[in-house]
Amino acid sequence: MSTESSAAPPAEPGPLEGLRILDLSQGVTGPYATKLFADYGAEVTKIEHPGRGDVSRRFGPFPGDEPHRERSGMFLALNTGKRSVTLNLKTASGRAILLRLAERADLAVESFRPGTLERLGIGDPALREANPALSLVRISNFGQDGPYRDFAADDMLAYAMGGVLSITLMEGREPVKLGIYAPLFLAGGVVAAYAFGALTGGRRSGRGERANISLMEVLAGSMDRGGTNLLSAQYTGALGHGIHSAATSSLPSGPYPCKDGYVHINASIRWWDRLCRLLGRPDLIDDPEYVDHLDDPALATKVDALFLPWVLSKTKREAMLEAQAHGLGATAIYTMEDLRSDPHVRGRGYFQSLEHPAAGRLKYFGPPFTLHGTPVQLRPAPLLGEHTVEALGGLGHSREQIVQLRQRNIV
Amino acid sequence: MAAQPSAGLPLEGVRVLAQGIVWAGPFGSMILADLGAEVIEIESIQHLNPTRTFYRHISERQREGATGAGLANRDTSEGFWNRYTFFNYAKRAHKSVTLDLHSERGHELFLELVRHSDAFVENNAAGVVGSLGIDWPTLSEVNPQLIMIRFPGFGLSGPYRDFKGFGAAMEALAGHTLIRGYRDSDPSQTPPTYHADPNAGAHMAFALQTALYQRERTGKGRLVELSQSEAVMHHVSHAWMDHELNGRLQEHWGNRHPSMAPYGIFPTAEEPGLEHELLPYVAIAVPGDGAWAALCEALGEPELASDERYADVVSRYRNQDALEPRIEEWTRRHTARELMLLLQGVGVPAAMLNRQTLMHGDPQLRARGFFEPITHPEAGTHLYPGPLARFSEQPLSPVRGPAPTLGQHNHELLRGLLGLSEEEYQRLKADGVIGTVYAEDAT
Repeated sequence: MSTESSAAPPAEPGPLEGLRILDLSQGVTGPYATKLFADYGAEVTKIEHPGRGDVSRRFGPFPGDEPHRERSGMFLALNTGKRSVTLNLKTASGRAILLRLAERADLAVESFRPGTLERLGIGDPALREANPALSLVRISNFGQDGPYRDFAADDMLAYAMGGVLSITLMEGREPVKLGIYAPLFLAGGVVAAYAFGALTGGRRSGRGERANISLMEVLAGSMDRGGTNLLSAQYTGALGHGIHSAATSSLPSGPYPCKDGYVHINASIRWWDRLCRLLGRPDLIDDPEYVDHLDDPALATKVDALFLPWVLSKTKREAMLEAQAHGLGATAIYTMEDLRSDPHVRGRGYFQSLEHPAAGRLKYFGPPFTLHGTPVQLRPAPLLGEHTVEALGGLGHSREQIVQLRQRNIV
Repeated sequence: MAAQPSAGLPLEGVRVLAQGIVWAGPFGSMILADLGAEVIEIESIQHLNPTRTFYRHISERQREGATGAGLANRDTSEGFWNRYTFFNYAKRAHKSVTLDLHSERGHELFLELVRHSDAFVENNAAGVVGSLGIDWPTLSEVNPQLIMIRFPGFGLSGPYRDFKGFGAAMEALAGHTLIRGYRDSDPSQTPPTYHADPNAGAHMAFALQTALYQRERTGKGRLVELSQSEAVMHHVSHAWMDHELNGRLQEHWGNRHPSMAPYGIFPTAEEPGLEHELLPYVAIAVPGDGAWAALCEALGEPELASDERYADVVSRYRNQDALEPRIEEWTRRHTARELMLLLQGVGVPAAMLNRQTLMHGDPQLRARGFFEPITHPEAGTHLYPGPLARFSEQPLSPVRGPAPTLGQHNHELLRGLLGLSEEEYQRLKADGVIGTVYAEDAT
């Protein structure tokens, strides 16, 4: 018996029902931001190039490692709940249709190379004329201006320029990047939050906002050793969070090996008594050999000598559960398989199983937050151009006209 | 909504009470304040706000170490909690009120604030609001239009509900820790990262705007729940889908890429005149054959491009062990900045690993005006990273002010907003219900 959410229809419309987003972005950052809008009920219309579509249709992973534009795992995950309309923006008719779609949208999101919208003739003046209240969010690696405006980048490079990568390392080694695309998912969440502000500003004033977002800045200012370190560099010339945090704490802090894998632990020095109890050594709670030196990182070797035999005798789940029962922050370092079968996450109904016509039935991560009383049921990602006819029909195009547009490779 | 020519910032008029702590909470409330919300930090002099400090007093060793690095001028004298980076970065343009929520009067006054507010957002451990008597049933009765966002690490239900952990703990559970890290080391050598924190904060800021939009239509408040560990799972979507589609458990790739080669982080020469504790590196990505040919040209080895061991991406991928040292031999002879400018100029994506102590001089950030000066009454004037989006119609910069000192807005909010008499205000002070200095035994 599966414990994931059942496919019951939502009790009421999605919280964002009524909002319309025109999504010209592709890849990860923009699509993750618009996915949030879509999953919570906004109508998100994704504009894709005919025949090719979003670049993430080529990212994979693919079943059997066979590339197929409808079976790219990244595309499937990033585009739930959206409509796909194909439009060739290099043609006048394609642009005219885009501007008609813009007339009825609240927000447009784009992630072309800076200057592309202008070159296509669908920049600020054209969008303003089509819909003065439409807000526009522009996402690029380094922003729409400045000397690096036209530089190419990806997740690793934007993270490098943002500064945090330079301290993501173990002593004496080179920096090591995050998991593939992870910085762009973070950026997508940040973009979504500011994009919602831009949208609201446009709705309130009747004059659409223009938001110019640089991935480098988003990653530089994030509060994962980003913005706070940039400020400590000003306050004291040093970094409040330098390299590996184990160097700054005398108690276990970071990943540790255990019987069947690894466990991550963060034991604050305020929790020395809890650690002693966990290790079955209450006699050490007041031992001056330890308590008088807890603020000295050099004590770590001595504490590790107590901690390692304990942690190596536990499975990762045992270590997590026992440490947490003693009030210490610890979590198992999971594989995807561990995660998929975790009783807590499964029990909360986080995973949702969706049927996609080309990719079949797969489990997806659920919505990242829940409005109690308004459950969110994910809908699968669209096939390339799946909603072209519906969208053009909505603009008053006849079936015949649509066939003609298709023959001219405009849709 | 009717058009209002000068409507102000998008969230102007939205009052948010916040117990947004450590990194996740502050990052979220920073975005809300950037967008114009009036964010009121709910603090107390009895309980240390972990965004300000974990310790009532800072030891000499801590002053010299990482904690001291975050305190303006490493000044650990009384009031140091008003001069700490975590708080002063993210809580800019916030207000601060102190209330002892364990006291009857403090509790009542908090409920009064709730009556006057649109939202209460908090990322305390899951059990805290219940023990303080400020849980959803209580607050929604006081103010049926209230939006309450609760975003602890593991959600409000399930066996891990009361688990502790910072961002790195969320990433471990989400499977991120295991798929990054050095290719030649085991995961106990993987440096911790903490982006689960800003991720949760950003989603909270989005969630609040979602609930506000819904409230426009329904007139009703709402409890919103966010599990930080669930929100960060999306970051491993590539590995998750690989497991779903292929049953494959991905290994950690170090700095390599699943479909590009060469790809990685290479050591470089130091810029003349710079001595720095962190070594210089450049990140290089070669997305296709064109960029590969350009890189070979830049290396001064154009013949490499037609070498059959490296001619196409599959061959390069297979032979990257041999390729990487050749690239490194070259990158070590140039500075990271030179390499970035050279390679970007010929169409090869490359970026220097910016080092945070040097970033105030970064030409791109300077040209865009990313840093802005903020004068804080106790920390002084410094350059702060500005809002993470630039708006042209209703600019978010300059930000509306510095972070508040502890209890700075007690008078404004309690006398002004709630209309307490001066006499009662003074009594609250005398009774320690409010204050501007942490109690000596604050924990």
